[in-house]
Amino acid sequence: MAEPLAYEGTSYEVVEEEPPELLGRNLVSASYLLAGATAFFFIAFVFAYFYLRSLNNGGMWKPEGVDASIGWGTAVVACYAASALLVRLGVADHRALRRDQWRLKGVVALLVGVVGLVLQVIAWTHEGFGPADGGFASVYFGWTAFLFLFVLGTLLWLEMTVATSYRYRKTDGPPPAGHASGDPHREAHDIRDPLSLVRAELVGLSFYWTFLAGIAVVSWVILYLI
Amino acid sequence: MTDAAVAPSPPLWRRLLGFNLLTGVVLGIGGWYVGWFGAHSIVGPSLDYFGDIDYNELSVYLAYIGGIVGFLVGLGFFNYPFARLRGYPPSLREKETGGWTRYFSLCTDHKVVGIQYLWGIGLFFFIGGLNAMLIRTELLRPHHQVFPAGTYLTLVGMHGTMMMGMMSSGILGPFANYLIPIMIGARRMAFPRIEALTFWLLMAAGAILTTTIFFGGFPTGWTGYAPLSNEGNPGMDNYILFFALVGISMTLLGLNMIATIVTMRAPGLTWTRLPIFAWGVLSTAVLMVLAAPVLVAVLAMEALDRTAQTTFFVAAAGGSNYLYENLFWVFGHPEVYILALPGFAIVLELLPVFSRKPLWGYRLAVGGLLGVSLLSWFVWQHHLFVSGINGDLRPFYMLSTELISIPTGFTFLCGMMTLWRGSIRFTVPMLFCLAWFFNFLLGGLSGVFLSDVPSDVTTHGSFFSMAHFHYTIMGGLVFTFFAAIYYWVPKMTGWELNERLGKIHFWTMFVFFNSTFAPLFAIGFLGQPRRAVTYASGLQFLNDWVSVSAFCLGISMLIFLFNLVWSLGFVKKPAEANPWGSRSIEFQLPSPVPVHNFDRIPVFSSDPYGYGEGPPPSWVPAGATAGRD
Repeated sequence: MAEPLAYEGTSYEVVEEEPPELLGRNLVSASYLLAGATAFFFIAFVFAYFYLRSLNNGGMWKPEGVDASIGWGTAVVACYAASALLVRLGVADHRALRRDQWRLKGVVALLVGVVGLVLQVIAWTHEGFGPADGGFASVYFGWTAFLFLFVLGTLLWLEMTVATSYRYRKTDGPPPAGHASGDPHREAHDIRDPLSLVRAELVGLSFYWTFLAGIAVVSWVILYLI
Repeated sequence: MTDAAVAPSPPLWRRLLGFNLLTGVVLGIGGWYVGWFGAHSIVGPSLDYFGDIDYNELSVYLAYIGGIVGFLVGLGFFNYPFARLRGYPPSLREKETGGWTRYFSLCTDHKVVGIQYLWGIGLFFFIGGLNAMLIRTELLRPHHQVFPAGTYLTLVGMHGTMMMGMMSSGILGPFANYLIPIMIGARRMAFPRIEALTFWLLMAAGAILTTTIFFGGFPTGWTGYAPLSNEGNPGMDNYILFFALVGISMTLLGLNMIATIVTMRAPGLTWTRLPIFAWGVLSTAVLMVLAAPVLVAVLAMEALDRTAQTTFFVAAAGGSNYLYENLFWVFGHPEVYILALPGFAIVLELLPVFSRKPLWGYRLAVGGLLGVSLLSWFVWQHHLFVSGINGDLRPFYMLSTELISIPTGFTFLCGMMTLWRGSIRFTVPMLFCLAWFFNFLLGGLSGVFLSDVPSDVTTHGSFFSMAHFHYTIMGGLVFTFFAAIYYWVPKMTGWELNERLGKIHFWTMFVFFNSTFAPLFAIGFLGQPRRAVTYASGLQFLNDWVSVSAFCLGISMLIFLFNLVWSLGFVKKPAEANPWGSRSIEFQLPSPVPVHNFDRIPVFSSDPYGYGEGPPPSWVPAGATAGRD
């Protein structure tokens, strides 16, 4: 009789040291899927914009005095786009083994992204209208608020990647086994050489952040230009 | 496990103080009050917190958001992200050993998560079922008798919302989480922590919806239409939070499933060898990832209308309630197939096992699943036929809706042809699959009446449409859900379910399901509207018939529950590794499946449907073939 697929019982030895390529593939594919989900989330706001604009119920789509400031909007979107661009350049640096350059660009991208968020908060307080002032105002505040949350989440992801790069910048080989987060019973990392995953994380993050910055540009065109 | 690798387990009191469900509930309650007080300090200080006179929408939202955060902190979901923020490297697994306590904490073993889903969804399914019993009790008489109209509407809304929300993950939650990694020869899901998060978010959502009764309930039914939702009690906020959490959970669940199936298939498992169940999961997951975000977005707009005074759905202030209807059904109709497609897949997965024949038309079946998935995006406006949409649009949506019967027909055809001249074994799972053909046929045929504009104008909003979707969703999904339970639970738990009780459950459920819902077609044709607590006295006999049948249907569920508790809690008869003679890979593993699934990753050489082409393998060699010899 052939050897069975598995014996009863458990063994961490079996699952430790998984090849990092597997989680790398998971991460990159997840960033594509997340982009799809994000697109459909914001399509709802695009639909709301054009639907309410074409209905113009009670002449309340955009009452007099309701106009989003293009200056603030441009500044916010420029920060998002610049941050995403820096991450893309950081990926190129990482691929070319210029790790110092990547870490620097990563930190700057993080700071520029945070500046974008701060500018967005300032912009909300400086618009001359509130969320109750008609259809456009509703779409404007709703869309930018949720874009803010998505960007915040992406910047947290960026921070994690940058932080890992910094923490182990002088480490050759895998990090100590005690640094594996999760189950304290485990004696080794469940991913072989988990630091090698920085590259895959960066590729996935860069794709998603660029995509989100693209949505920000679309929002800029729709909310501020047309 | 080697003894040296395991640290001694801490005492029970120490484990109770750690990150687990108990801590989650305690911190969840604490977080709720922090949010409640915080919102009141934002909106205006008041000491009337504990009276019922000082609700404001923001306090309800922030209280529940605080509760969710506290709950997740208590379960340990924030430990890993905080470690990552401090620069620690990624890892995959948490608490995969530790006995029964794994089931009450963040555990990344996909099999534990599957079983957590089974019990968790079962709990809320039971609550939703109790609501149905109360609804039918009220409808025993044509006039008010038990509940005021507002309470009745809340019961109807809670029943519908609970069932739709929870059962969206009814198959993918328990069965896909448990089985997909095994079926594709993997040791884990792509993102094990996210997998666990989807479950605990769903449990938080269920608790939030259940507590709507403390905030006055909600009057809108499961669709939450504006402008009624803008004007509803604070209990409406519970509905919004519930469905938004369900949407987030569904998106993450779908994302995890797709990533797993696409990137983690074992060597040799090509797309044409993928089990049909995995194809069903994949096509459902695509809908989840793309449709659920639209739900979250529309509910976010609704929440902003109720808190920040935006006017998305207020026609007098530049909004439109039709915006809500459109966006809701952009999600809502794919949602119907999120419910139905896993049922199709289960039927197609089980029929070859119990007819001892290969699955007929594998590629056609896959095409049917993907076709339904694609077409489901082009039909949503049939829900708005009587809402005043442009008349010129009606024919397109009528045709697109009817078009979807073609790929659905593929599934029927493949199923019927698989049965043709098969050596059919009428086991309990097979009986539930066969019932699916009957139920879903009636559900599908009655759907034609609702997709045709002339007949929809008459039947829309009546008990006819209610009968239709119960035939498709309960007849289509819930019957296959039970088929899956009887088929896979012995594998999942290692214990057999009692077959005699299973057959009694099936026959009582099948008879009383039809006895409950078939008369509703007639009641609908006779003009009884949904969500109305009173009805014409001439309809009392039919309504009483339906109510009594519904109570008997409830009893059939109790028979199932008794079987489950009796077989798994008391009898505990060990299940064979492969009780059905299946060729699928999960049945080549011990029952229950070991934590790590496979000692070595298997190599696939064929699909698992080679019945009649040689004896079923008793063992599949590790590192060699799985499935057909």
